[in-house]
Amino acid sequence: MNDRQLSVSRRDRWKAALKQMRTDKILYVLIAPTILYFIIFRVWPIWNMRMAFFNYKARGPWEWAGLKYFHMVFSTSAFTDILKNTLIISFMKYILLFPFFVLFAILLNEIRSRRARNTIQAVSYLPHLLSWVVIAGIWISFLNPSSGAVNQVLGWFGAGPYDFMTSKGAIRWVLFFSEAWRSLGWDSIIFFTAIINISPDLFEAADMDGANRAQVIRAIILPALVIPMTTVFILNLGFFMTAGFDQVFNFTNPAVNSVVDILDTYIYRLGLDNGQYSLACAVSLIKGGVGLILVLLTHVTSKRLTGQGVW
Amino acid sequence: MKQAKLRKKFRVGQLILILIMGLFILTILIPLLHIVAKSLSDPAQSAQMKGLEILPRGFSFINYQIIMSNPVLVPSLITSVFITVVGTALNMLLTISAAYVLTRPNLVGKRAFMVFFIIMMLFDPGLVPEYFVVKDLGLIGSRWSVILALAVNVYYLIIMMRYFEEIPPSIYEAAKIDGAGHIRTLFSIATPLCRSGIATLTMFYAVVRWNEYLRSGVYISKLKDSVLQVVLRKFLVEGDTTTLIGAQNLLNYNELAKIDYTALSYAVIVIAIIPILVLFPLVLKYYTKDVMAGGVKG
Repeated sequence: MNDRQLSVSRRDRWKAALKQMRTDKILYVLIAPTILYFIIFRVWPIWNMRMAFFNYKARGPWEWAGLKYFHMVFSTSAFTDILKNTLIISFMKYILLFPFFVLFAILLNEIRSRRARNTIQAVSYLPHLLSWVVIAGIWISFLNPSSGAVNQVLGWFGAGPYDFMTSKGAIRWVLFFSEAWRSLGWDSIIFFTAIINISPDLFEAADMDGANRAQVIRAIILPALVIPMTTVFILNLGFFMTAGFDQVFNFTNPAVNSVVDILDTYIYRLGLDNGQYSLACAVSLIKGGVGLILVLLTHVTSKRLTGQGVW
Repeated sequence: MKQAKLRKKFRVGQLILILIMGLFILTILIPLLHIVAKSLSDPAQSAQMKGLEILPRGFSFINYQIIMSNPVLVPSLITSVFITVVGTALNMLLTISAAYVLTRPNLVGKRAFMVFFIIMMLFDPGLVPEYFVVKDLGLIGSRWSVILALAVNVYYLIIMMRYFEEIPPSIYEAAKIDGAGHIRTLFSIATPLCRSGIATLTMFYAVVRWNEYLRSGVYISKLKDSVLQVVLRKFLVEGDTTTLIGAQNLLNYNELAKIDYTALSYAVIVIAIIPILVLFPLVLKYYTKDVMAGGVKG
């Protein structure tokens, strides 16, 4: 009796769903091109990654190679160096730089003159919209040892000139500062928004209690930033294996490549310059696997801490 | 007395603050202005220019004239404009349609679609396996490879969904009662109501399209069929001065010895930045305003 009722209601639900789908036919037509796009340009490439387990052949079927290419990846000394570079550059860009985004938002909010604040904010967004090719061009000019602005200023203090772009000791800091230059304005928007959404009552109350700015920042502004900080920080961890391909690809040069070569530039070189497709796919799979674990850990931790996941 | 002292202290604080922030802004403005100034300088004097100089020494359009007669650069500029316009149109068409569908409350299979898109967002197979797809499709060497390979961005799709979700459901119900079908509701009711969202995303996509260099460089291997960013990369990052001048120009300019190659490449940077500067006020107008008003969307 109970069973029958259940199956009837399930059948009814199916019927209702089918009816709904029939009336909404056009919706499925509208979303079809997008689904098709992802199948062709995402699912198909993911399927192609099986190349990591085969010997690639332009003609004829591929030969099964088992874990040969994975062994090859781990047996090269290059891989350890590249992994180390990736983690160091990620650490600098996602952890060391992180507090400055918060600081930028707080300082911006402290500016009383509306005009000054808006101007600073607007200009700070601009670099984010430029391509990494253009940014590399600007920075190569900016850091030029004979005519660049940076060395000109250092010259006033009797220092330099330094050739930062070809110095192994300096190049990672060039990546750090050019990342800051590009993102400080844009990536601090989330924190600035959190600050201006704080209830004005809180500030009034603080004013009445005679709190100074440092106290206001500590007691009102920073607590309001905890949630966006957690979200952004954890999200950054998900990017750790990536470290920013476009930046390194355009800032690197033969003199410094050994200290900035990251997983993604390595994959690019293996696959598209050397034609070692299987090896490139094996590195991609290792990178993707670790990256995915990081994203999922991120998501779960974030959900638990702030109630807000990555999606 | 105490009040005056406080105000003075306050003013000093503000001054230091604006000075610090202003210094950061100068690191953005000075290199940009220097590049513009040097590209407009007289080639005979521009080589001696220092990085802090933001006014041209002498004045000349010669760098731009050389660049504009370069047999590689002008076609690449046209290709860039084509890919940006057609590509952005395709991006918006697909993103708007998919976002509208995914925000219908009674859609059967909505969860499955969302899970699919999120998986697509998480798995990035990278360029090597994608290269084989483009090859199998016979798109190598065609600008359509780049246009199609970046047809939808999941992040932007989700932003567009947020905009559609903000339209009150009663409006859709009224449209339904009036007998409007989905296509009509989408294009004559939902789309006009999301004007600022559409403007924002059009700009985002257009910036991505204009700045794209990686896929163009790999899929369109011939430099003369490629895009401006690829040509620019050749000049700036790979330091290719022969292409920068252009083989024909070598014959045409007998004052070649006087040309400042750096200033010449700066002229290309300026050309690559101009469209961004045109879009920039719109970004400020729509995106920033929306983000400030309605919490985080991006």
